[in-house]
Amino acid sequence: MAVVTASARKSPALAHGSRRARGPRRTPPLVLAFVLLPLLVESVWVFWPALQGFYLSLTRWDGVSAPAFVGLGNFREMAHDHVFLGAAGHTVLWLVLFGGLSAVLGLAAALLLQQERRGVGFYRAALFLPVVFSLVATALVWQAIYQPDGVLNHLLASVGLGDLRHAWLADQDTALYAVIVPALWRQIGYVMVLYLAGLKGIDPALYEAAKVDGASRRQRFRHVTLPQLRSVNAVVLSVIVIDSLRSFDVVWSLTRGGPYHSSELLSTYMYSTAFQSLRLGYGSALAVVIFVLAFGVIASYLVRAFREAE
Amino acid sequence: MTIQQPSRRRFLAGLGAAGTAALLSGCVTAGSSGTGSSEGAVTLQSNLSSPLAKAAMEDLVAAYGKQGKGRVSLNTVAAETFRTQLPTYLTSANPPDVYTWYPGSVADSYARKNLLLGLDEVWQSSPDLKRYSKALNTLCTAGSGTKVFVPTTTYWWGMFYRKSHFAQWGVREPKTWDDFLGLCDRLKSRGVTPVGLGAGGNTAWVASAWFDYLNIRINGARYHRDLLAGRHRFDDPEVHKVFDRWREVLPYFDPDGTAVAFQDATTSLLNGRTGMMLIGTFFADAAPKDALDDIDFFRFPVIDPKVPLAEEAPTDGFFASARTGRREQVFDVMRYLATAEAQETYIKGSSGTVLPCHPDAEDAGTPLVKKGRRHIEQAAELTQFFNRDSSDALQPTADTALTKFLARPGSVGSVLADWQRDAEKIWKA
Amino acid sequence: MANVPHTTAPRRRRAATAGFHLSATALAVLWLLPIALVLVTSVRSFDDIAAHGLGSRPRSFTLDAFRQAWVDGGQQRALINSLLVTVPCVLVTLALAAMAAFGLSRYELPLRRSLLLLMLGGNLLPPQILLIPVSKLSELMGVYDTLPALIGVQIGFGVGFYVFVLHGFMRAIPAEIQQAAVVDGAGPWQIFWRIVLPLTRPALAALSALSFTWIFNDLLWAITVLRSDTKMPITAALIGLQGQYVSMWNVIAAGSVVAAAPTVAVFLRFQRHFVAGLNLGAVK
Repeated sequence: MAVVTASARKSPALAHGSRRARGPRRTPPLVLAFVLLPLLVESVWVFWPALQGFYLSLTRWDGVSAPAFVGLGNFREMAHDHVFLGAAGHTVLWLVLFGGLSAVLGLAAALLLQQERRGVGFYRAALFLPVVFSLVATALVWQAIYQPDGVLNHLLASVGLGDLRHAWLADQDTALYAVIVPALWRQIGYVMVLYLAGLKGIDPALYEAAKVDGASRRQRFRHVTLPQLRSVNAVVLSVIVIDSLRSFDVVWSLTRGGPYHSSELLSTYMYSTAFQSLRLGYGSALAVVIFVLAFGVIASYLVRAFREAE
Repeated sequence: MTIQQPSRRRFLAGLGAAGTAALLSGCVTAGSSGTGSSEGAVTLQSNLSSPLAKAAMEDLVAAYGKQGKGRVSLNTVAAETFRTQLPTYLTSANPPDVYTWYPGSVADSYARKNLLLGLDEVWQSSPDLKRYSKALNTLCTAGSGTKVFVPTTTYWWGMFYRKSHFAQWGVREPKTWDDFLGLCDRLKSRGVTPVGLGAGGNTAWVASAWFDYLNIRINGARYHRDLLAGRHRFDDPEVHKVFDRWREVLPYFDPDGTAVAFQDATTSLLNGRTGMMLIGTFFADAAPKDALDDIDFFRFPVIDPKVPLAEEAPTDGFFASARTGRREQVFDVMRYLATAEAQETYIKGSSGTVLPCHPDAEDAGTPLVKKGRRHIEQAAELTQFFNRDSSDALQPTADTALTKFLARPGSVGSVLADWQRDAEKIWKA
Repeated sequence: MANVPHTTAPRRRRAATAGFHLSATALAVLWLLPIALVLVTSVRSFDDIAAHGLGSRPRSFTLDAFRQAWVDGGQQRALINSLLVTVPCVLVTLALAAMAAFGLSRYELPLRRSLLLLMLGGNLLPPQILLIPVSKLSELMGVYDTLPALIGVQIGFGVGFYVFVLHGFMRAIPAEIQQAAVVDGAGPWQIFWRIVLPLTRPALAALSALSFTWIFNDLLWAITVLRSDTKMPITAALIGLQGQYVSMWNVIAAGSVVAAAPTVAVFLRFQRHFVAGLNLGAVK
């Protein structure tokens, strides 16, 4: 992959440079400004409210009166809250299923549509359209599809699978899996675009060399494509983890985490405690847990990736 | 210098963290003090976002403007947005002056936190408000004894059905609980699902109407209100009696009741798949125009004749922020909203299924509305609805509990125990 | 490609092309089915939907829902608001992100990897936890209920991720190019403006299209920092079409078709750049 070779070329030079420049090496003040200005903007609008949010997780607050400091009481309550434990389990399941499937299916779609042929733009746009279409309308339509007398059940009955009919979104056993489908429908186009870019960056000479060596299509995929996609995977993984843990809109608009918490994710539970039950302290504590989860997964992967690339 | 910089940076970071913690307790939570501006039009934040209601509010605002005493500027936001943002609105530094909302324990909780403008002056100086019923007076009084609300419209809940379908099936409105069960039997034998329910999708709160009605029919309105306020427990034997009764009629419920939103359940009712539905008059807004004349309702059947007759009749109206800088203008607007003329303007512009609170104001005049007026007047007590009598925060606990009960009627014990546990978290918050 | 008239290669190629188009079309149709359902709903009358349900066969055809969404729903104004917010946001966010990525990737700043993780970390926070602190902050700054507040929060919340992505691109630019420019006497601004930025232009094009989509479709921040219905962007105006109890689904469907139009147009226009631009290592 061009990135790997380029940075490999870069590191000896820079290493040489830094060895030379040990001692007072001042970065140009303009560059410092370049970095500090966005950092300042992000600090004002994100970090400062985030710190307040973290502080709120240590309080009990209803949004109106003054908050009461309770230390780690919210977190202690969480450990015994079986809804939280259920939601955490569902979130892990969601991360694996939704995350895994969106990566695999996104890659498959990218492989299918990678060649610049006639009409490929239309197919790519078709897969990307759900990503840009407003959720209000698409949630409505998915509810119509999943209704007991909706499109899906009609389809099953017409092909003879009538016993598989369910009230998909209202049945405790099927709600979570039913919601994954529209979530994937909205995510795959986006992952496909990321992988399309990665596939484009693979040097065709590598494929030629493999073909000359007598490699089959599958072997070429395993030994050329997959390794070259490793840097794209860093971005895709971050995107998938972020989107999985923040997956809120689709689940909330279709089931609100119901029926009775069977499709509850950490994000929906956080929203309902903060904005429906008006327990903002507990909601903030849940948000802290989500953040720690996301940061932990991404940071560990990235730190390893950085170390590899250096 | 390269070696010194990191440690200095670390020191500064530590100092920053300490200072941050000190500042934090102030910043996000301090409700901004001070009052809003006293210039300009009175701002009215409204959650009546359906196209008809919005147009009716605009007519109302225009009518007030024509009087020449001042202007009102209307802001309509989506109902769900309004609900989540209401605490933010009330605690902001320059809040909207007047808000649409409902009275009862919800307004009371804001009044207790000194966020609502006292409206005693309006109630005492307005000739219209003096004529409002005693029930409305009590409803609009906060716990501290001040009036904080001006009611304008009210609607009611009942068992709605289609007259033509009932005629077709040869059944009549029942009077007692046994009559009602007999009616359900007859409908079932004709292949019609007797009782429709639209507690799926995002409208799970519809199921609470059944809980409310069974409770006020069996245990009385006072017990119901006390229960919702936290003075009784959800696992009390009285509440068990409610669910025992409910199990009697559960076999006649639509098995898909918790899978469809109430707007789709309305469609089922109107095309004859279900026979009747316990719903509020707002459901008429979901019906096609040609079906409106065919809709009728009957009172939820009386179970225990010794219990004083109570009905659910939610009231809507307006309250004002305590931080407004335009007190006199707000008082004037409130006085106008309480007049019969204002309420008639609103009813004419909206779908016409609500009743005005003013005793002299004319309603839409349809037979349905006239029947509704008599229905409410005959009740000895009026309750508002689950969330309005308790709080919006308690409603999700009811949704979870009732959805679970409807799916697993045998597990009443565990359902009620869980409900009590969830409710305690809200009451103690 | 040489013409080989007497072998089966062209026939095989035609079959392969046919196979591709068949499978891709099937996939596209399956994917577009829910959206087709939205389009069908948007041209039905309200009474038709109320009488027969959403999933039923349409029995009416009317374009009145579009008129209602545009005029009564205030979508014209909302669309303008959306554009007023989205375009400056995209420009400023990517400018800031390019600057930060340049500094963090091309220079030996101390703590640069931690800073990068810190900026990305800001994007990992669930936005719901920030809603109330941000609304109080915007009040404090005196910009509550103004479009600049929405612009500010969108920039702050988005910049971390774009720094991360652009950092990956800029890292791949060979050091020799930069060193050659330094030798020629170029300062950091010139290196940024004349060398690095042109080389990352494809990535910037792709990211600007993606960020346009995200900011345009955002809902949560809009309802947090805005209060007046005249300032609401189109996503918030769309949910404003829902009533307290009853919603007119045909109007909402029509409104969402209108709301989707700009983002679809942007995507189709920048589609080539997406693929070429997100190409890690397009820099040769």
